Amino acid sequence: MMFVRNDAKEFRFCRSKCHKAFKQRRNPRKLRWTKAFRKAAGKELAVDSTLTFSARRNVPVRYNRDLVKTTLMAMARVEEIRRKRERAFYKNRMKGNKEKQFELDKKLVESNPELLRMREVEIAKQLAKAEAKAARMEQDGDEEDEEMSDDEEMDIESESESEAEQKKEKILLKNKRRAKRVL
Amino acid sequence: MLYLKSLMKVIDNSGAIQAECIKVLRKSPFNYASVGDEIVCVIKKAKPISSQITGASASNRVKKGDVVHAVVVRTKQPVKRPDGTVIRFDDNACVLVNKNKEPLGTRISSVVSRELLDKNHSKIISMAPKAI
Repeated sequence: MMFVRNDAKEFRFCRSKCHKAFKQRRNPRKLRWTKAFRKAAGKELAVDSTLTFSARRNVPVRYNRDLVKTTLMAMARVEEIRRKRERAFYKNRMKGNKEKQFELDKKLVESNPELLRMREVEIAKQLAKAEAKAARMEQDGDEEDEEMSDDEEMDIESESESEAEQKKEKILLKNKRRAKRVL
Repeated sequence: MLYLKSLMKVIDNSGAIQAECIKVLRKSPFNYASVGDEIVCVIKKAKPISSQITGASASNRVKKGDVVHAVVVRTKQPVKRPDGTVIRFDDNACVLVNKNKEPLGTRISSVVSRELLDKNHSKIISMAPKAI
């Protein structure tokens, strides 16, 4: 989608999300997901000579096979350099994060010393749970035995019924086969 | 999307400011005019006529209430192009023309769409400061 303002300024939108944000008069430099924000906030490589190569130029150039050849080769090379620089930029940006995180963790442990004895606390909790469970089992033991005997009787009855049903089905199947042969 | 009764800007120096569509030419009934289509319109607002202007531009001057032909040059409704892009403008605008499709004014004040070229309005394109 391209929007053209009356002063002939062109706005090209990559997707309808961007177009909608534009219609709501959102500033792209303040929306965190846009490239404009990332570049303005120093999160991505913004000023670099490799980026200027791929800019649009309104200068007509006569066709020349050699020129095209060299341009194509240069494009690959420039892209390679850009990738390397972007990687280096990212690494530089992330430098020192590990140390910072370590310092924060250290501070957290110092202010909350009980975190260091977390394993002991967990084991103690588990033991207490197991003991409570065992105690409950002993209490309920007698009632459960009576229930078990009832269940067994029920099972036997249901089995005999199912056998009878199976026999009926077999007979039905045989009849069907006979019918097919006759046909 | 310009139908009967839709208002639009007039962006040439014929003296008209605002026009109202009263007929879309060479289209089936109930169809709308898009960029490059010809319409018949009534001038709703016009600049006052001053005696300083002389020559051809004075004879082509229009008044309020005149019925003239016009060509739509910009639409607010997005227009699809054969290459898949979609283009939308800020407002609806037209340029007044005579029966031979030649513009009445001698100057155009703002951008026009490039679709006019496909519909043989190259005179308008050449007069415009920019065609997009």
